[in-house]
Amino acid sequence: MAVKKFNRRTFIKAAAASGVVGSVPMYLSLADHKKVASEEPLKKVWSQCNGCASMCSKAVYSKNNRLWKVEGHPLHLKSGGRLCARGHGMAADVYNTSRVTQPMKRVGDTFEPISWEQAFSEIGEKLGKIVEEHKGDSVLWVEHGPRGKFYADILLDLIGSPNYCTHYSTCFTSKTNVWPKMVGDSLAADHENANYLLFVGRNFGGGIIPNGMNKIHKAIERGAKLVVVDPKYNEMAKIAHDWVPIRPGTDLAFYLGLAHTLISENLYDRNFVNRNVLGFSEFWEANKTASADWASEVTGIPADKIREIARDMAASAPKAILEPGWHGLNCHYVNSTQTAQMNVILNALVGNFYKIGGLYPGQDIPFGSVDRKMPPFKRKGERADGAGVKGKFPTVEPGRGIAQITPQLVEEGLIKAVFIYHYNPLRTAPNPEYQKKIKDAELVVVIPTDWNETAVHTAHYILPEDYYLERTETPRNNSGHLAHIYPQISIRAKALDPIHDTKPLREIVAGICEAMGYEGYFNFTIEDEVKAALSTVEGLTPERLYEEGTIEFTTHFMEGVPLEFKTSTKKINFKVPEYEANGFSGVPTWVPPATWPKEENEFRLIHGKQPWHSHSITANNPYLMAITKAYNGEWMWMNKVRADKLGIKNGDTVTVQSSVSTKQAKVKVTELVHPDCVWISNSYGNFSERQKDGYGVGVNFNDFLELQVEPMAGGTNSQEIIVKITKGVS
Amino acid sequence: MARYAMLIDASRCTGCGACRVACQMQHQLPPNMSFNRLEFRERGIFPTVKQEIVPVQCMHCDNPPCLHVCPTNATYKRSDGIVLVDHDKCIGCKYCMTACPYDARTLNEKRVPEKCKFCSEYVVQGQEPPCASTCMCSVRIFGDLDDPDSEISKAMAKKSVYQLIPEKGTRPRIYYVKK
Ligand code: SF4
Ligand code: SF4
Ligand code: SF4
Repeated sequence: MAVKKFNRRTFIKAAAASGVVGSVPMYLSLADHKKVASEEPLKKVWSQCNGCASMCSKAVYSKNNRLWKVEGHPLHLKSGGRLCARGHGMAADVYNTSRVTQPMKRVGDTFEPISWEQAFSEIGEKLGKIVEEHKGDSVLWVEHGPRGKFYADILLDLIGSPNYCTHYSTCFTSKTNVWPKMVGDSLAADHENANYLLFVGRNFGGGIIPNGMNKIHKAIERGAKLVVVDPKYNEMAKIAHDWVPIRPGTDLAFYLGLAHTLISENLYDRNFVNRNVLGFSEFWEANKTASADWASEVTGIPADKIREIARDMAASAPKAILEPGWHGLNCHYVNSTQTAQMNVILNALVGNFYKIGGLYPGQDIPFGSVDRKMPPFKRKGERADGAGVKGKFPTVEPGRGIAQITPQLVEEGLIKAVFIYHYNPLRTAPNPEYQKKIKDAELVVVIPTDWNETAVHTAHYILPEDYYLERTETPRNNSGHLAHIYPQISIRAKALDPIHDTKPLREIVAGICEAMGYEGYFNFTIEDEVKAALSTVEGLTPERLYEEGTIEFTTHFMEGVPLEFKTSTKKINFKVPEYEANGFSGVPTWVPPATWPKEENEFRLIHGKQPWHSHSITANNPYLMAITKAYNGEWMWMNKVRADKLGIKNGDTVTVQSSVSTKQAKVKVTELVHPDCVWISNSYGNFSERQKDGYGVGVNFNDFLELQVEPMAGGTNSQEIIVKITKGVS
Repeated sequence: MARYAMLIDASRCTGCGACRVACQMQHQLPPNMSFNRLEFRERGIFPTVKQEIVPVQCMHCDNPPCLHVCPTNATYKRSDGIVLVDHDKCIGCKYCMTACPYDARTLNEKRVPEKCKFCSEYVVQGQEPPCASTCMCSVRIFGDLDDPDSEISKAMAKKSVYQLIPEKGTRPRIYYVKK
C-alpha cells in the first residue's frame, strides 16, 4: 500500500540541540577501559534511552569508543531535556560485567561459548524438526514488546505460528484492553494545560517520565490542583495538594463513588454524554446505590472527600483529568478491567475528550517500510495461550497474548520452542519457580544483553544482542502518555561500536531463518530500513534525523470530538458489547478483590516503582544499586501502627510468607503507607548469580504471587497477594 | 568577575537521584562515590503526614572552614567563589572532612577528599551543572549573582531564602527557597 507523503512543511528546531562540545572528560576507572589519547575528538551521537519504555532521546558523548556521559534532548516529548537516574546509570551498563559477551550453549547446568555460525545452524536444525513434527503453532516468540515484532513476524510467518506475545499481560493489559473497545482510541492527558489533576495509582515521579513531572510542576505553578490517591505516599504525593490514602484493591469503589456524585448531583457533561455515549442509563441503573457514602465504607476515604474531588473535577471540567494511568491498577486485581472501564467513564463524564487541557490522541506520522521479499502464506492455528480464542480468553487481545502462562503451555505440550527476546519472565512474571519450567521445552532461545534469570535458568542457547548504545534502529514516533499537539519522531543511532561479540536482532533472526533454508527474506540493511521509514516524509533525510536526533513537525492536533468513534458501535461504549457477548457484564459494577488480609499479621503485598529503578535489569546496575544501598531502597514499607503491634522496629528482618513462598526482608517502619498493606519496589530480588550488583538484594512481589489470569484482559492480578509477616527469621 | 551560587527549592524535589548519577557521569566517579546526597524526613502521623527531602552538597562557603584548617593550602577558593581541592598539594590528613559542617566531602579511590566542584571547568564555559540541568523538577538554579539578569539573581530577588546551619558563620553560596 502506498502511504501518502507526509508534508512536514517546516521543522521546529531544537535550540540547544547543536552546541559546541565542552572540554575533555576524565574516564571511568574500570580496569578494562584505560584512558585514551586526550587529542581524540569528543563524539556526540543521538540515541534513545533504554532505561525504561519512554525512550528519551539523548546525546551520547564518547571518545575513542569510550562512553563519557549522556544528556537529554530538549525537544523530546518524554524527556524535555532531562534524564532520570536510570537514563544516566543505564548508559554506563554497556560496561556491566554481567553482559553476555558471545553466543552460549547450555551444557548441563552451565554454558559454553559457541560461534554464531554453530548457534544458528543448531537452532535452525532443531527448530526445523519441531515445526515438521508439531507444526509452526508449537513455536512461541515472547518479548517485552513490540520492538522485535518486525523481525519476529518474519520468522513466525515463515514457519506459520500465530504465537507472538508481549509482556503486556504482566503490566498494563486492562487499560489497553478497555480503551479500543470503549473509545476506539487511546487518549493521553494534557497535564500542562489542565486545571485539575487526579492521579490514582499512577506516579510520574516513580515510574518516571521526566517531562511529565516537569509539566505537572508547570501546571501547579499556574494554579492547577493535584490530588494523589494511592495507598503509598508516592513521589508525586510529595508535591500534591492532597494525598488521599486508599485501602488497596478498592480503587474501583472510589471511582464508582465519584461517578455517583457526578451523576446524582447533575454535575456531569450532559451534552457530551447524550451526543457520544451508549450505555449511560444501563451504567446508572447498575450503580445507583454506589454512592459516595457506600464508597467511603469500602475505600476508607471520607465520603466528603470523595464528593469534594468529584465536585472540584466538575468545576474545572473540561480541563479536569483523571490520569489514564499505566501499570498501576491495570493488572493488579480481579477488578482491574472494571477499574480501567471506570477511568474511561469518569473522563467522559467530565467531557474532557479531544480537548486541550483534557485528553487527546497521540499525534503520529506514518512511516514507510522496506521493500522486501514477503514470506509465502502459511495456515496458522489458534493461539496456544487462548487469547482471542472462543471458549478460552475471547476478549484478551490476540496481538498481545498472555505472557505469564508460558511455562503452563510448555507443560501441556502446546509449545515446543520458545524464543524470549528483551524480556525476563523469570523475574518479572508470577512465581519464578514455576516459570523455570520454560526450560522443559524442546528448544529455548533467549536473546538478552545480560545474564538475567531467564537466560541462566531456562536458555538452551543464549544469543546476545548489541547493547542499545551499540545499535541503530528505525525511527519512532514519540507519542503516548503525555499529550502533545505536534507529532515528533526520534532515532536511536549507534553511538558506540560493539565491545563484545554481539549482534543486532535483525542479524540474529536472519541467521536462524537462513539456517532453516529460508533465503532472501533479510536482504536489507538497517540503513535501508531507516531510509524506507522516512520515505513518507517529504524532504527529511536520514542524515538530517541523525544530526538532530528528534524532529518535530508543524501539523498539529485540533480540538474537536469525532463524529464517529472507532468502536464496534461508533460511539463511546459505557457498556462494552464485546464483554457482554462473552458472558461478562458490559458495564462495570463493584467487584471486590479476590483476597483480603484478615489476621493481625496479614497484609496485602503491594508494589510500585522507585524513581531510580525500572525493572529487574536496572537492579543490577552499579550506579543505581549504590542509590538503593544509600537509602535502603529494597526495604519493605510497613505502617508504624501495624509494626508496633507486631513488635517490629525500623530495620528489623522479618519473615514474609504467602501461599507460594517464604522469604526474608528488612522493614522500613513509616507513616507513609496504608496500614492494610506492605509496599516494596518492584525491581529487586534478582537471583541470577551472574548479576554481581543485583544478586540477593531484596525480594520481589512475583516471589509471592500465584499464577493467575484475569479472564477479561489477561492480567496477572499482581496485588492479589496476602502475606503473613512475623518478626525475625522463621 | 562572576560570583557563582545555587538556589535549591527542596519542596520541588521528589528524590529521584538523577542529580547524583548525572554528576557521577560528568566527573567520572565510581558508583559509591557521590558529590551530592538527599536527606529524607517524615513529619506527622498517617494519614496527615508529609515527607521532606533536602538535596545537600558542598556549599561553596564564602568563609569555608575546610579551607581554614587545611595545612597545605590544598583547599582553595577561586576568585569566582568556587572552593576546590588541589590534589597535588593534598596530604590526605582529612582535617577538612572533619571541619565541614555539611558532611559534603568524600574520599576518592586515592584517599584524597573530594566534593562538589560546582562543575568549575564547565560553568566558566557557560554550561549548566548536570545536577541542575537533568532535574525534572527544576530543583536547582545555578548562576552568577553578580549578573542581575541571571536566572538565579531574578529568582533570589523574588523569593525569600535561607541557608543551612547559618550559625557556623560559613556564609554558604547555596541558598534554599523558604516555603
Ligand atoms: S524516563 Fe529515564 S529511563 Fe526512561 S527513557 Fe527517559 S531517561 Fe531513560
Ligand atoms: S534530580 Fe531533582 S528531583 Fe531528582 S533527586 Fe535530584 S534534586 Fe531531587
Ligand atoms: S555542581 Fe557539578 S560537581 Fe557539584 S553536585 Fe552539581 S554536577 Fe556535581
